[in-house]
Amino acid sequence: MSDTALVSNIQKYTIHDGPGIRTEVFFSGCTMRCIWCSNPETIEQRQRLGFYPAKCITREKCGLCVKACPVPEKTLVFGDDGVLRRVNQVAECDGCFKCAEVCPPRAIKVWGERYTVAELMKIIEEDRSFYERTGGGVTLSGGEVLAQADFAVELLKACKAVNINTCVETALNVPWSAAERVFRLADMIITDVKHMDSAKHREITGAGNELVLENIRKTAEFCAGSGVPLVIRTPIVPDYNADDTNIRATGEFLRGLPVELAAYQLLPYRKMGTEKYDSLGDDYPMGDYAPPERADWEAHLLELAEMLRRDYGLPAVAGSAGKL
Amino acid sequence: METQATARALTGDTYKTANLVEVTPQAIEPYDKDWGIAVSGNTPNPSPFKRINDILAITVKSTNGFVAPDAAELITEAYQAHSGEPAILKRAYSMENILDNAPIFIFPHELLVGNLCCDKKGAPVFPEFGFNWVVDEMRDGLMDYSEQRTHDYFKYTPETQARLEKLRDFWDGKTINDVVNTMLDDEITKGSHDGKGVFFADAYVFCGAGHLGLEFDRLLRLGLGGIGELIAEHAAKVDLTSPDSSEKRLFYKAEKIVNDACSRYVARYVTRALELAEAETDAARAAELREIAEICGHLSTKPPRTFREALQLVVFATDFALLECNGHSISYGRFDQYLYPFFKSDLASGKGSRESAQELIENFFIKIWDLNKLRNHTLIKTFGNGGVGGTALTVGGILKDGSDGTNELTFMALDAHAHTRIPCPWMAVRLHNKTPRELKIKVANLIRMGTGEPKIFNDEVAIPSMLSSDISLDDARDYHVVGCVEPDPPGKAYGWKDCGHMNIARVLELAINDGRCYNCGPDCARWEKCGKVGKQLGLKTGSLADMKSFDEVLEAYDKQMEYWCDRQIALLNAVDIAHQIVYPLPLLSTLMDGCVENGVDITRGGTKYNFTGPQGVGIGTAGDGLATIKQLVFEEKKVTGRELLDAVIANWDGHEELYAYVNSDRVHHYGNDDDYADSLAKFAMDTWCKHIERRPNTRGGFYQPGAYSVTVNVAHGQNQWASPEGRVAYEPLSDCMGAVHTKLGSHDIKGPTAILKSVTKLDHARATNGTLLNWKFSPGSLAGDTGRENFIALLEEYVARLGMHSQFTVANQETLIAAQKTPEEYKDLLVRVAGYSAYFVELNRALQDDIIGRTSLSFD
Repeated sequence: MSDTALVSNIQKYTIHDGPGIRTEVFFSGCTMRCIWCSNPETIEQRQRLGFYPAKCITREKCGLCVKACPVPEKTLVFGDDGVLRRVNQVAECDGCFKCAEVCPPRAIKVWGERYTVAELMKIIEEDRSFYERTGGGVTLSGGEVLAQADFAVELLKACKAVNINTCVETALNVPWSAAERVFRLADMIITDVKHMDSAKHREITGAGNELVLENIRKTAEFCAGSGVPLVIRTPIVPDYNADDTNIRATGEFLRGLPVELAAYQLLPYRKMGTEKYDSLGDDYPMGDYAPPERADWEAHLLELAEMLRRDYGLPAVAGSAGKL
Repeated sequence: METQATARALTGDTYKTANLVEVTPQAIEPYDKDWGIAVSGNTPNPSPFKRINDILAITVKSTNGFVAPDAAELITEAYQAHSGEPAILKRAYSMENILDNAPIFIFPHELLVGNLCCDKKGAPVFPEFGFNWVVDEMRDGLMDYSEQRTHDYFKYTPETQARLEKLRDFWDGKTINDVVNTMLDDEITKGSHDGKGVFFADAYVFCGAGHLGLEFDRLLRLGLGGIGELIAEHAAKVDLTSPDSSEKRLFYKAEKIVNDACSRYVARYVTRALELAEAETDAARAAELREIAEICGHLSTKPPRTFREALQLVVFATDFALLECNGHSISYGRFDQYLYPFFKSDLASGKGSRESAQELIENFFIKIWDLNKLRNHTLIKTFGNGGVGGTALTVGGILKDGSDGTNELTFMALDAHAHTRIPCPWMAVRLHNKTPRELKIKVANLIRMGTGEPKIFNDEVAIPSMLSSDISLDDARDYHVVGCVEPDPPGKAYGWKDCGHMNIARVLELAINDGRCYNCGPDCARWEKCGKVGKQLGLKTGSLADMKSFDEVLEAYDKQMEYWCDRQIALLNAVDIAHQIVYPLPLLSTLMDGCVENGVDITRGGTKYNFTGPQGVGIGTAGDGLATIKQLVFEEKKVTGRELLDAVIANWDGHEELYAYVNSDRVHHYGNDDDYADSLAKFAMDTWCKHIERRPNTRGGFYQPGAYSVTVNVAHGQNQWASPEGRVAYEPLSDCMGAVHTKLGSHDIKGPTAILKSVTKLDHARATNGTLLNWKFSPGSLAGDTGRENFIALLEEYVARLGMHSQFTVANQETLIAAQKTPEEYKDLLVRVAGYSAYFVELNRALQDDIIGRTSLSFD
């Protein structure tokens, strides 16, 4: 395996992805392309350049990126005011990221950094006292953490060796063998069902749902056998997967799983991460989509949760702020 | 409601034992009542009591008020009548004249009476503290609303102005300000508020020191009559032949005058209440007024018999103290402790119920908000929206025997804030390792409302800190919080807390620029006698351009700090002496432990503990400045010392690259759990503490350093050129113990756990005058059980890591910005300022921006 993993972000005091106060490691690279994704920097398993024109102090006053770049005339596009407008990632750009390295205000930044297990453990251990107080620990997420399964196994072993609680959050669109190896070292597993209709699933995530649903069944069996708690979520996106038919189909599917879920969380859609899409030069896939009035569909979310509790006996809740 | 069983299950392993109160508190609200998140004050009729909502409806949600001239006239009259007598008698006769003759008020619906002898929101004038500014501001249009004064303004009638103008000549040359000025010279004032503003020491030049808790235990036990007997008893013991007997007899004479006047004042309410009852058409209200008359008749000499009477005596005593000393932060002590015996006995005897006590507490809170205090137009810029100021009220914490003191009143007082949602009193909750879980839940739910109340104090560090100031174990365990920040033994200490502040970031400026200001030049008011003639403001400690090692920087900072602390102490001692000469406090002396017993006025060290507490401002700014210099000049050698100085002197103009760089995460910054920077912030603070702590003061006690800014970080910033960690000229300094936030962004980027760890690497116990960390949370991060439970864990970790004090703002950035745009829609939006909460829309723009700029810990 690789000695390092590509990690796009490490977030301390995460409180919604597993019990207690956690440090969440977001692995770069995803096997889906969900249109509502609010972490676009984690989608590709490679380093990405992000740039924030508002932070640029102008070519005249700085210009370090121009000096650092081997092919600045091809890549760096400045406005008349001297502010960097765009970084063209053309063929000549070999991804040296020297522009980001030298940029004083971090107007150009690199998304994704390579870490060894030891480097991650040093950061994870910094908040150990918070984990101990709250039953928290580390959550591996992404992107798709299972796309870097070998590394994840080593990292989880290192956590277990020093008694740090572990949680794995995955979309499960991966070979089961990758999942199983990692799950053996997890104290909690979080995954999600995005749509029960495979064609619709493909439409909104770029992949069919057969492998995902199959893996969820296997995960449920694994959890039933091992006692590892399983949390399942559905990001409820109005006009996409929030219709009763789909929710009822999901309820039916989850009811049939051979394990009692720790929770089934209906997550509210939020138009988030658009500034990150801008920084990457990518378009937000949902474009100008305007969701219904927040109060209305939040009420709808509560109704759905109630229906799933009542009709399917699921531990359904709206949002992820409930205690796990 | 969580059951006891679930609560027990939720405690986890950490505090399995001794974590629950033995008897479930019987407040009228469940302990886990959830009032919502970030709802702040925006709720109509918050109280379950109609009376309270009715009183709230006639209570103005503003600190603006009006000038009340009566006290000033009565004081002047007494001074004229007794012109040849010693100051202490002049003061006693002034109080007597006010208490006998100033107008008194009973407001609609209220059960508790008494205030500062004026209508709601009126501010009396105290001419002894520098009177010209009052009449000058009226004359110059700076007292009422104007472009220069958009908040904290005071209305006045032409008649008021004329009445006060008449007193001007009399006070000319007689005020504390006048006396202080006779003791100063340029060497002391060159760096002060009157000079270049390295330090400020003027808080008690223009108003009283206040900042104390009264000895309520004794007062409630003895009553006013009992205090009178105590005075007589000690007066009779004076040895006529001892050298200090004349002074003591004078003191006791003054004590008797004011104590008798207090009794007569309380009795005046009997007459007033009966007059009103006579005229009252509503029979129920008439009966209430007759009850008020009966209670006041009893309290005029005798000790209270019921919870209501005890609370009524607390109101009167606090009004006495405020009327005499003109100080703010006359605090309410351990409210849930000194009133508890009355509450219990009422319940046992049936004289009162939990409901009646709850209603009284809420009435009591609103009465505090009725009070007001006159401040000049410059002071309000640094202390916006303070109201009467410093009305701290402490609940929770351990008792003298080391056990937990949580009781029903602890919960009821916190509920009373949720039921009133006004910025008074300033609630403080003492936490410790054995605080019951129910109380933490109550506190978390209150904080989640977003009114900024209550603040959290930590017994585990506050008590050892007090022990280090030679306070006895009993007294330390019995501490309450004074005003914004300071732990203090109630009724036993005259601590001169918040008497001044040192800009330690400015000290760093002078340390690395050879004692010279960065912006030294002909524009400076001191140029002719300073820069122009080859001098400099501070001590010559060398230039960063010539320093060979980082150790030389640290040494320069240390020497420069000593130099400025010496001058600040000289000035503060002068102010203290002026108070002793001009403004003895005979009435306050009757309400504090030790003064009557020792026969010594509180201003001369009569009470048990005597401290002087200035604070260091700009810890983060100084710490990041040191880290920037260490890393960039001496380790990475990215810039030379000369280049860094030039960039700062140029206010970064032409040095934009370096400006962006120092503000980026490439430089070690305090607040990220990074030992490199955190240790330098610690050095910056420790050096300040080292040169202040235990220096003798004029009352037989010593100095105590504080580590907080409240809001003066904004004022000091407005008075300071750029600085090496990436501030541009006139930006605010870092607030309290917080990290640096500049126009380019926050220097702390790792979230709440990192801040918590960084801040608790600083030595809170050493800041014996108190510390403060202001947190700001986005509402989503506190939502649900998860938000609450993990927030409580943060509080617990802060306690375990020995952070002394925290306060919380819970608001959406967007809400605050929207409130700036349409203030009329956000009139009730309460936010945490620092040490206190205030109506956001009443703060000035600079302070609003400073609050908006605090790093928002959002993780939803």
